[in-house]
Amino acid sequence: MRAGGPSAPGGFGRMTRAEWTKFRTVRGWVAGMAAAALVTVLLGLMSAAGSHTSCGGPDDTCPVPPVGPGGEAVDDHFFFAHRPMTGDGSLTARVTSMTGKVRVPDRVPGARRLDARLVPWAKAGLVVKDGVRQGSTYAAVMVTGGHGVRMQHDFTQDTAGLPGGVSAGSPRWLRLDRKGQEITGYESADGRRWTEVGRARLPGLPDTAEIGLFAASPGDLTVTRADFGGSIEQVRFSETTAVFDRVELSGRVAAGAWRRDDIGVTTEADGVTPHHPGGFQESGGTYTVTGVGDIGPVVDGPRPENTLTGVVIALIVVIVVAVVFVTAEYRRGLVRVTLLASPRRGHALAAKAVVIAAVTFAAGLAATAATVSLGTGLLRGNGAVLLPVSGEAQVRLIGGVALMMAATAVLALGLGALLRRGPAAITAGIAVVVVPHLLATASFLPDEAARWLLRLTPAAGFAIQQSIPEYPQVLANYVPSAGFYPLAPWAGLAVLCGYAGLVLVLAVIRLNRRDA
Amino acid sequence: MRRELRAEWTKLRTEPGAGWLLTALAVLTAAAGAAVCASVTCPAAGCGHDTVRLALAGVQVGQAVAAVLAVLVAGGEYGTGMIRTTLTAMPRRGAVLAAKGAVLTGVTLPAAVLAVLGSLLAGRLVLPGRGFTAAHGHPPLSLADGPTLRAAAGSVLYLALVALLSLGIAFAVRDTAAAIGAVLGLLYASAVLPLMVGDPDWQLVLWRLSPSNAGLSVQATVNLDGLPLGPWAGLGVLVAWTAAALAGGGLLLRVRDA
Amino acid sequence: MAPPRDAPAADRALACDVMETTIEVAGLRKRYGPTLALDGMTFTVTPGRVTGFVGPNGAGKSTTMRVVLGLDAADEGAALVGGRPYRSLRDPLRHVGALLDAGALQPSRTGRNHLLWLAHSQGLGVRRVDEVIDLVGLGPAARRRAGGYSLGMRQRLGIAAALLGDPPILMLDEPFNGLDPEGMVWIRRLLGSLAAEGRAVLVSSHLMSELEDTAGHVVVVGRGRVVADAAVADLIAAASRDRVTLRTSDRAAAMTVLAGVGAAVTVSDRDTVTVSGVPAERVVGLLNAGGVPFSEVAAHRATLEEAYMELTRDAVEFRAASGGAAR
Repeated sequence: MRAGGPSAPGGFGRMTRAEWTKFRTVRGWVAGMAAAALVTVLLGLMSAAGSHTSCGGPDDTCPVPPVGPGGEAVDDHFFFAHRPMTGDGSLTARVTSMTGKVRVPDRVPGARRLDARLVPWAKAGLVVKDGVRQGSTYAAVMVTGGHGVRMQHDFTQDTAGLPGGVSAGSPRWLRLDRKGQEITGYESADGRRWTEVGRARLPGLPDTAEIGLFAASPGDLTVTRADFGGSIEQVRFSETTAVFDRVELSGRVAAGAWRRDDIGVTTEADGVTPHHPGGFQESGGTYTVTGVGDIGPVVDGPRPENTLTGVVIALIVVIVVAVVFVTAEYRRGLVRVTLLASPRRGHALAAKAVVIAAVTFAAGLAATAATVSLGTGLLRGNGAVLLPVSGEAQVRLIGGVALMMAATAVLALGLGALLRRGPAAITAGIAVVVVPHLLATASFLPDEAARWLLRLTPAAGFAIQQSIPEYPQVLANYVPSAGFYPLAPWAGLAVLCGYAGLVLVLAVIRLNRRDA
Repeated sequence: MRRELRAEWTKLRTEPGAGWLLTALAVLTAAAGAAVCASVTCPAAGCGHDTVRLALAGVQVGQAVAAVLAVLVAGGEYGTGMIRTTLTAMPRRGAVLAAKGAVLTGVTLPAAVLAVLGSLLAGRLVLPGRGFTAAHGHPPLSLADGPTLRAAAGSVLYLALVALLSLGIAFAVRDTAAAIGAVLGLLYASAVLPLMVGDPDWQLVLWRLSPSNAGLSVQATVNLDGLPLGPWAGLGVLVAWTAAALAGGGLLLRVRDA
Repeated sequence: MAPPRDAPAADRALACDVMETTIEVAGLRKRYGPTLALDGMTFTVTPGRVTGFVGPNGAGKSTTMRVVLGLDAADEGAALVGGRPYRSLRDPLRHVGALLDAGALQPSRTGRNHLLWLAHSQGLGVRRVDEVIDLVGLGPAARRRAGGYSLGMRQRLGIAAALLGDPPILMLDEPFNGLDPEGMVWIRRLLGSLAAEGRAVLVSSHLMSELEDTAGHVVVVGRGRVVADAAVADLIAAASRDRVTLRTSDRAAAMTVLAGVGAAVTVSDRDTVTVSGVPAERVVGLLNAGGVPFSEVAAHRATLEEAYMELTRDAVEFRAASGGAAR
């Protein structure tokens, strides 16, 4: 007998092959997919080629930020009073005061005006570090301007201790303890009862490391909305001054005075005078450290995903092709022929979804790989210093955006099968994927509204392209228009895939319920 | 021309999707505007938001519906082949386009008026609860206010112009799916194009050329000096796009085989 | 599946084939809103002959076919092909070939590529595609965009699609539509030879005349149910019964004489009348007695069309208003 059982295998594979044949034999659809890839590449390269970065200076090149142990670009700018310590040991100190200053716009040109206040992430405390090279491994326990006591290490890691600031009435004790590669931070209100704040393992820390007191104060950030799209960020210089006493070092510490280093300080145009220097004073067991800058990851700057701006426009083409791939059958009654060939309707639609997803993914992958590699090259050629991203983030960017395009195609296909009308389905697809992203990232909408759009709508999938994460310990303009999405990359993609799956299931249910 | 008008009106009136789309235009615009208003807060004086623009933000969504309606009015006939019946019955093709445009405008305008009034009403109800109070420098939305009235009237015109723009494109493209993709691409993609180029001069040029950015500047009520184009001049950009699309679509309709 | 040992191989094959090559429709009912499209439709199509499926427009032919093919769901009743519901078939096109709407095409795809994707869906190769293209005589047109095909070429492409899986059952909805006379002859021969190979062939039409030389059996439907299910020869005989064709030069006199004995007389031509209700010998006797001249008296042989008109008189949903009203 030639008949197979109802659950016989092979039917789905054949249907998938048939749908692939269907797709590739309509020139317009193949051309559409190629156009989507081309739009991605051309718009990406156009925007990369048109973007010139110049940072002034004699040779007009931008400084390359130092790189932390994890490979990320970092800020490593603080005042460091330190001594070399070999092997295990500990440093204890009491912080009795922490104050700050923020520069505000001059009223009289040349006359500096300063506001006496602490920025929330001003920090002062104890640090152990592999020398004084920017970007080297470290662990620190600190008091902050507005976020209580923290234990931080290697730029990206941050653990909260107890809240509250420092005043003469309520000083705070800090202790940093080294045992091999393990560093433990403690705090205490009285120097007797100690609480552990956090622990860090620093595999790269050499036997002899620099240990000491530090202070740093990141710039004060204000963001104003630009008149048409985007926002204007202003960073004002700020500094903090902390007073330490009861400083106690135990362990093998070289004899001699505290060494002072204004790590990462920039110089004025003369190349010698430090720009906003820090400082250190010692008098009778009391140490005053003044610092500018920050120790943490850099989140502002050109990133590889900046070259993928064309994707959102390419998605319009992808949506049109994916919708028409199914609605063209309804328009001509061809769907009946399809269902004669594959009476299990769920299989027929699933085969279509597999084909459109695979085709979009392939076209998308080629486009994103080409755009990112060529575009970042163009950006670098134009003087931009791209924030380094890990290999994994690079793969996630290139492959993930292609996946996002594929999921969007499946969503559009599902909408086409559900609504059965091309214009309605195309509009719906564009309205739920492209429009929310445009509204959210083009600063048409307030940031809060933009974040909700990127959480709730299928446009959440765009989160997959964010290569630099948001760090709570770094104050920055974390808004969608600056490339920061409210959901984690894979979570965002999962939202999009969830919508695509839901719509596809609804389409199958409708297909099964209705007469063809 | 009167016969063409009557015929097109009968066609549109008996198209079951049209009523739904017009309802959707009004409802979606107002609902999206209300959602935007509900997601913003103004905790203190001087939030810097243009409340009229916030309330009318739904026009960004409503324009898609207006575009769909327009594309269906024209492109739908190409899908079914009815265009041949239409052009056999009414051989003056220019008159057919004019009649379609007139009927389309006639139905879009009332829906757009409802959409805009609904949006302003929603904004008036929602915004004070989000901190946009007179004490914070945001008096309740009112059409008695000159700039608000201009923004409202301009938004109504904007929606009608988008419909006509889409009609012209649909006659040029002759396929509903491709036309809707082209129209929405033009409206939305051109809106972000200025953000994709680094050069500020080019940004300004692209912004001024973009039908949606320029056209929607008619909604602005604060900080008018900061706009690259004045409110009415901005709407003028959209008028130019619409005129070009209708002229192009009309020309192609006349010279091509049906 | 292991065959029972005692069954003779030949018998088993035959039993299998018969079961695989029937369409069974039993008690189908389907309602579209206020319209009852199918009202207890019941019939069986057996292999080895062409079965005509006729009835006026709106009688339920296409709906029945769609239900059989699993496209539409009936409210009640069952439709089986080869003993199984269509939707449970694996590689269904190898069991049933169907032509429903020849216009169901993507216009931008070539005819050959249309057949190619269908072939791939059934695990068939490109060779079979080229075979059926030759079989239906599509020739070089197969490599052109299907959107540019004439109605006749689309019918041929649709028939090629139906034949693709070499199925034992064929269902063709109005295959004669749009064919030129040569095409009509071709399809009649094709259907005949397909039936002769032992296939079950169901061909619908609203024009009985199209089927007269092709179908050996007809299922006549009206208002959603079967009106007649009979061999063509029997139908014609039944419609011819007690009818006499009379050729006379004095039509008026003949009508007077015959009406006198209660015969129903209808004028079919200038010198021809059809008499029913009176046997031929009696007609001759009466005419001779009345001195009415006549040149021919013959037992009437009805056309299939007449038989059909007779059967579906009550079943037609829309009928042109007769008389002068529609002018």
